[in-house]
Amino acid sequence: MKDTTEQEVIEIGDLDVEAFNEYATEQGWSDGMPLFVPTEEKVAKFVERVRGDNRPFSPVPPRQVVPTLQSLAANAVMAGCKPEYFPAVTAAMRGVLDPAFNLHGTLATTHSCAPMVMISGPARKELGVNCGSNCFGQGWRANATIGRALGLMLINVAGAKPGEMDRSTQGNPAKFTFCFGENEEENPWTPYHVQRGFAPTDSVVTVMSGEGPHNLNDHGSTSGVGLLTTFAGGMATPGANTIYGKGPLFIVIGPEHAATLKRDGFSIESIRAELFTRSRVHASRISEENQQTYITTGHKPDGDWFTIAPTPEDIHITVAGGPGKHSAFIPSFGGTTVACVRIAS
Amino acid sequence: MRIVNPTFGLSAAAGEAVALKPVNWKTDAIALFSNSKPNARELLDGIRTKLGAFRSVDNIDFVAKNSASQGASKDLIEKVAANYRGALLAIAD
Repeated sequence: MKDTTEQEVIEIGDLDVEAFNEYATEQGWSDGMPLFVPTEEKVAKFVERVRGDNRPFSPVPPRQVVPTLQSLAANAVMAGCKPEYFPAVTAAMRGVLDPAFNLHGTLATTHSCAPMVMISGPARKELGVNCGSNCFGQGWRANATIGRALGLMLINVAGAKPGEMDRSTQGNPAKFTFCFGENEEENPWTPYHVQRGFAPTDSVVTVMSGEGPHNLNDHGSTSGVGLLTTFAGGMATPGANTIYGKGPLFIVIGPEHAATLKRDGFSIESIRAELFTRSRVHASRISEENQQTYITTGHKPDGDWFTIAPTPEDIHITVAGGPGKHSAFIPSFGGTTVACVRIAS
Repeated sequence: MRIVNPTFGLSAAAGEAVALKPVNWKTDAIALFSNSKPNARELLDGIRTKLGAFRSVDNIDFVAKNSASQGASKDLIEKVAANYRGALLAIAD
């Protein structure tokens, strides 16, 4: 390993915030929104929060450099994080570095995918992560800046400059930030991180390279079967990578929908099984050219039907949001995985 | 004012240098390597046809990675390296 020609600490002269933002934009460090200044003093406060977590980072593709805690923290400072958010940010970075996440592919693709970040466990409350009303939206510093910090790291450390290494045809607003918390308090089943083998007392970051959330509106159905009819219909889309790339996907169920499904006897497993079968797309809704592409790349139909995930277990289910009759479908990039990392304490 | 460079990283160890031998494009075995995107095969097929105008195509073969969204497996890359003297990649959409 050898040092790059870059310097870890840079003397930039006596710049005010506005001048720093001009400088940072010229360097290509910005996501287009204003940045905080990553002074040595601020960065040190962030790094102090992860001093006990000495696991090295692997080289970050596509640029293939090994980041330092200081350079990662600089991005978290620029994003507007509080120091206490930094362990969650580094956990998210470790998650996208899982080889099965396929970071190179998810960053260099023409697809619109961006990293979805979900936080589970006690850290949700400790950091003030919104798990309830408008959990995918604006208004919460932890949600906004933890997701943004990861996005800046992918630009600056991974090298995914828009239009250069990031070749996304249209992009996605989630590339600015996409972070939310599980609503464990209104989840009638097992919290997601516990489904994945973690203890309820663990704080865990889950990442998946996906599209933004697609709303599943159902005010009319009063039964679990009725809700799953709507969910499956919303998921059965020929334009999502879930059918093209056959990868994982998330269903984020709103608390009111979850209560109805639980009342009618549905479990996580039975919801998965039902959605896997009923969200298949009939061949008549897929062009003949695309059918040939799917078949020649190994995605063979089940009779006249194309499934949207390899197995029912690739349908990941959690509960988030507040009052209202809405849930969400988050298709993934396809060639990726859902990675979970415990937040170091 | 001193700031921490948000792009800073240590470069990963470089791979072993390999001595390249020249390829004779008129006779050597060639792999036409598809990224598995739609139409990649058609592009490579056109190249094979053009190569056929001045050489035998009996040892020009099509190779494809398993998924358009994932890198080629190490096994596939090693197989291509072992069996072909050159490879042409279709990397566009």
